[in-house]
Parts: sequence; C-alpha cells; structure tokens
Amino acid sequence: MTALLLDSVIKDFGDKRAVDDLSFAVRDGEVFGFLGGNGAGKTTSLRMVLDILRPSAGRIEVLGRAPGRENSPELGFLPEERGLYRTMSALDTITYFGRLKGMSKGDARREGRALLERFELGSSANTRIERLSKGMAQKVQLATAIVNAPRLLILDEPFSGLDPVNQGLLELEIQRLSKRGATIVFSTHVMQHAERLCDRLLLLAQGRKLFEGTQDEARATLPARLSLTARETPMGLPNVQAATATGTHDGWTEWDVQLAPGSDPGDLLQACTERGFALRRFEQNRPSLHDVFLHIVGGEERRA
Amino acid sequence: MTNPILLVAAREFRQIAATRSFWITLLIIPFALAIGPIASHFMRQSQTETIMVIDPSGRAAPAIAKRLDLDEQRRLLIELSRYSDSHDLDKADPSALWARHDRYYTDAEVEAFVRAGGVERAKHLMQRVAAPDTPPFEEPDPAYRIVPTPPPIAGASPAELARTLPALINPPKSQRDTEPLDYAIYVPADFAGGRAPVQMWSDGAPPGSLMGALQDTLTSVMRARFLEAHGLAAAAAETASRLAPLIAVNRPPPGKGQEQVAIRSILPLLVSYLLLMSLMLSGSWMLQGTVEERSNKLIETVLACISPDQLMYGKLVGTVAVGLTMIAFWVACAIGAAFASQGAIADILRPALAPLSQPSVALAMIYYFLAGYLMISMIFLTIGAMSDSFRDAQSYLSPVMLVVAMPFAIIAQAVLHDPSSLAVRIMSWIPIYTPFTMLARLGAGVPLWEVIGCGVTLAAFIAIEVVLLARVFRATLLSAGSKPNLARIARLMRGRETE
Repeated sequence: MTALLLDSVIKDFGDKRAVDDLSFAVRDGEVFGFLGGNGAGKTTSLRMVLDILRPSAGRIEVLGRAPGRENSPELGFLPEERGLYRTMSALDTITYFGRLKGMSKGDARREGRALLERFELGSSANTRIERLSKGMAQKVQLATAIVNAPRLLILDEPFSGLDPVNQGLLELEIQRLSKRGATIVFSTHVMQHAERLCDRLLLLAQGRKLFEGTQDEARATLPARLSLTARETPMGLPNVQAATATGTHDGWTEWDVQLAPGSDPGDLLQACTERGFALRRFEQNRPSLHDVFLHIVGGEERRA
Repeated sequence: MTNPILLVAAREFRQIAATRSFWITLLIIPFALAIGPIASHFMRQSQTETIMVIDPSGRAAPAIAKRLDLDEQRRLLIELSRYSDSHDLDKADPSALWARHDRYYTDAEVEAFVRAGGVERAKHLMQRVAAPDTPPFEEPDPAYRIVPTPPPIAGASPAELARTLPALINPPKSQRDTEPLDYAIYVPADFAGGRAPVQMWSDGAPPGSLMGALQDTLTSVMRARFLEAHGLAAAAAETASRLAPLIAVNRPPPGKGQEQVAIRSILPLLVSYLLLMSLMLSGSWMLQGTVEERSNKLIETVLACISPDQLMYGKLVGTVAVGLTMIAFWVACAIGAAFASQGAIADILRPALAPLSQPSVALAMIYYFLAGYLMISMIFLTIGAMSDSFRDAQSYLSPVMLVVAMPFAIIAQAVLHDPSSLAVRIMSWIPIYTPFTMLARLGAGVPLWEVIGCGVTLAAFIAIEVVLLARVFRATLLSAGSKPNLARIARLMRGRETE
C-alpha cells in the first residue's frame, strides 16, 4: 500500500515555481529520504502534504486520503524551524499537541510521560520549557511529534541544530518507529543520515525530481572507481573508461581506475583472471551518497 | 475528542492567566474597593476639632457657642438635603427645608429647622417613606466641640495663659495620651473697649469658617456694648447688633433627579471603560502569545494539527474568555462591596448597579461588551499574525490604539454632559465606537430602535471584519521576511494574494 503519493504536483508563489511537476510514492513502512539543497522545494512539498499549503496543480494522497486535518491523528510532524511554548511544562506541551491530534487527555498524558521517561526527562516532566536546556527542549519537541504513535511521520530537516547525543537518539527513534511499521519521510541535506536510515530516497533540485530509488540505484548513477596495483596499464580492459597512475613501487604501479557507469567491478575482476592480467591489489571504492548528490545535483545545475 | 478551538482557547486562557500582570490587573479593583472604606474610616477619625474659650466676662463664650452650633446645624441641614435628594425622600415632607435643594439656608431658616425638631425629626419623617434598602442617614462628626475651661486656666492672667496654653495645644511627648486641644481663644473682659486684643492659640492656620464665626460673634458683642454705652436699652442694643439684610437666593428649579441620573450612568460608563482597559490588556497578552508562536517557529507545528481558522477562533474565544472573567470578577466584587459595606462606596455602587436589574439593559450591555471584545481582539490577532517581534507589532498597534482609544475621553465627557447629544448619537453608529458609546449611554436610556439598529450594524461590521482579517491572518501566519505594508494588507483582504 502507498502511504504517500504525489502526482504531478506544482506549487507556484506568484511568478516563482517552487515545486515543478513532482511525482513520487512512498510505500507503507518505508524510510524515505527527501534530499535536496536549500531552496530545492523540500519544505514546500512537505507543507502541501500536511495541508498547510495547497498545491497549485496536481494530486496528493496521504494514507489513501486527500491532505487535511482529519489525517492529523495518524500523522507526526517535526518542522525544520522548531519552537515550543516557553511557559508550558514539558508534559503539558506534549499533552497539548497530543490532544490537538485527537488523543484523549488521559492517553496523551500517559504516552507523554512514557516518552519523557524514555528520553531520560522523567524528572523534568513538570518543568517549564524555558527552564530546560536546548537539548532537552529538542527531545520534548520530538515527543510532541510522535506522541500519537503516527502511521506516517514527516520530519523536515530533523537533524539540523541537534547535538550529537540527540542526533543519535533521533536515529534510534526513527529505527524504532520503522520497526513498528510506521512510514517515515524525512528531508535532509546531510547525506550521512540518509545513508544510514533510508530505504529509498528522492533527490530534488529547484523544485524538480532528479532521482528516485534505492541507495544502490543512486550509487549506480556514478561511475564505479577502483584502486588497482598492476604491472601493466588497465586501459583496454572491458568497461575501463580512464586509468591514472598514482605511483610505482618495485615494478608495480598503483592505478586509479574509473569504470563506465552501470558496469560491475566484478566483471572486470573476472576479465583480469581470464586474461592472466597480473594484479597485486584490487579495491573497489563505493561512491558515497554525498558524491552521488554532487554528481546529480551538480550536473543539473550545470545544465540550468 | 475535544474541539480543537476549545483546546486552543483553553491553552490561551491558561497562558494569560499564568502571567503576573493578569493577576495584578484582576486584583486592582477589589483592592481599590477594599481600601476605600478603610481610608475613609481613618479620615473620619479626627474630624472634630476642640476649642477652649477663656472668657472672664462670661458674655462672649455663650455667643460663640451659639454661633458654632448654628453653623453646625446648617451643615447638617445641607447633608440631610443631599441624602433626601439622592434617596428620593423629599416626599416625606415636601415643605421641609431639607426638601429644598441646592440653596443657602439663612440663620432664621436654620433656627426654624432646629425648632421643628432638627435632624431627629427629619430622620423620623424620612424613615417612613424610605425604601427598605435605603442606608440610614449618618450624621457627620461636628466640625467643632467646645471643651470646658479648667478653673486654673479660667482665672489665669494673660501672661500665665501665654505660658500654659501652648503646652495644651502642642503637648510634650510625655503627655501625648491626653487629647490635644486644637484652638484656645482668650477674650479679655474689656475687649469691647478695644484696649486688650482677643488672642488665639492654634497649632496651625485656623480655618476661615472658624475665624469668620469668631469675628462675627465678637463684632456683634462689641456693637451691642457700644450701643448700650450710648444709652440704648440692652435688649434693643442686642437686636441692633444682629441686624442683617435678608438675601433671597433665586435659582432656576433644579433638574429633577439630576444626581440620580449621574450616578446611574456611572456603571455603563464604568463598564465601557473596563471594556477598553481589559481589551487593551488581554488583547496585548494575546498578541504577545501570537508573536511568540511566530517568533518561536511554533506556528508550523500547530498548523500541522489544526487549521488556521481553528487556531484563529480558538485564540478569539480564549481572549474573550479572559476579558469576561475579569469583568465578571470585578462586577462580583462590586456587588459584594455594595451589599456588604456601608458608607460612600455602597451609596455610589448600589444605584450604579441598578440597571443590571433590568434584563433588557443587562442583555444589551452583555451583547455590546462581547461584540466590542470580538471586534478589537480580531484586530490584535491579525497584528500578531503579521509580526515577528513585539517591536514589529508596536508599529501596527500604535495607530490602532490611537484610533480606538483616543475618542474614549470625548465619549465619556459627552455622555456625562448629555447622553443623547447629536455627537454621541453619531458616534454610536460608527462601528468601532459603537460598543463603547452604547455601553456608556445605556444607563441613561437609549431608544430601542437605536439599540437594535446599532447592534445589527455592528454585527454586520464584525462579520465583514472577520472575513477580511481572517484572510490576512491565514496568509501572513507562515510568511517570513518584511512586514506587510498597507497596500499588501489591502491586497490580502481582497483575497488577491495568498502565501
């Protein structure tokens, strides 16, 4: 089943097109990364999903329904720019947002208390937000987003501004919710988080989708790179696009090799064996998502 | 599931109720009501001043005592007249002197009043026609009391008096428990001859009324003695010394029940003023809350759960609830004070609360109060939605405050002067002034068609206001950057632009 569907969605602000013909689907139970630089249209897209903004054209489905506040009992949302009511206590804050999402007062308080205990804030439940440290307030903010055990959790740049301890806590929470079957969509421009968490991801630049798929599919868009130590040049072997010598030692040369996009390094290894091509080292360099992002978005920007 | 509007309203209410300024504002009025009677109690304590007259001849002292008593009775007569007027008791004896108001009572009239039984007789007559809840007439403390002169002082020489009297007027600390004397007057036996001066000892400047009474009395005594010395019989000399022209004071007939109307119109005017006060306060509290939501980046979290309209109505309901709580608390305190206390405060409050006993007036007051609250709160709310900081808000707020609050002083003046003057009636039809003006006017009676007409106009204005300002509220709630200017606000109101 599809937890979230965007179909040819367009959003214009005056003359400016913020989201341009965006289509994608997030399957139930997936952790879906929404990647893009600043101004790529991530926040606008998420706001449309939450019905804070209305699309200029196109169709959105959230848990099988049109966007609207009637979905809020099953949604969790952590915005990029976060804040809390300074004079409310931690527990009251979580309870308030739980009730706004349709929970009963008793349930919201019970769940709020349990979350605070889990986040090691049990003793600060009745402390006003303004007396909490920034890190503690960030935990409270996360608790307000997940107090209703949402089926779909939407996180807008969730790691920005978090200290390393809370970044770890958030990753654990995302994994925990995912295990319980929740669908998680999060936007970020820090690729390491996406690398650790995402099942699938979408790359956005200037409001347009550049890529949608798994991490492996994303990496396959980049030519594979190898480090070889050989007696002869690897140029002429199948799928080798470029080879640069980086050093020589006892008659052996170190080569930095670039394969044709989509080709498998295993095929090259097989060819070497069959041809009796002497190798002392064969090391595959997996491209990072960061490289993929720079490759795809950078290529798009060069074209723009 | 609780309605989100009520959840927002309850949170808004709790946030405001948790502020110190809310409680200070709430308790100011009961505090003022409590402090009033206490202050007046203390002020009453040393009202009567004591006078000692040293009069070796024995002729001046009785004359002074008689004169002071006459002045005292005149004062009582004036107080009785006011009491009778404000409690509508003239019907007890329409021919009585106290039933003739706002006039100067001559010596002869005051003497006639005393002969007819004085205060006791008047109280007895009034009691027969007084309504059950009329407070009893409280006689003010006499202005002066003549204390007996101790024999050692009565027989003392002027030089001895000059030594002993200052100690009585201003006793040393060790004798502070004895009641101090306010004035001592020495009238030498031969003062009429003009050789020995009348002497007075006093702790401060003696009041003009006392000096006047003393001067008058002693002048009469001097004149009588002079005439006697020139061969006039003692009785004739006495009469001649008291001759005075009769001066009739003519005034147009006093406006019937003028004082009553003035007092009755205090409550509506007061409510109107309270509306303004509590509105400005709770409005700015709410504004702070909205600015906080915006500047703390809270708004997006809230809007993910509820619609902008639910947020807006919730805030409006919360603010109106704060205002109503304050007013209800104040009115309850006033009612409590009116029935629990005696004296001046109760006298003013009781008739002032009288309009509340008429259901139609009370209903109209509640309507105009609520409508006024809604109208102004909506403006505050929109300003809050457009502002990133309280300083931003201030630049919108100042002109709004000026337009809304400034004419209040004019309204109050005009209503007190003439509640049905043309200016006041015109103001009643300008929606942003309708609630204040109508609330202020209601106590003095407003034609029904005007109450309904202004009420309908106001309701229509508020409906249009809410539709237009809600557009601005929705559009600006999430927008960052520069404050919208007037032209942009107008475009947002027309729905030409959305974020």
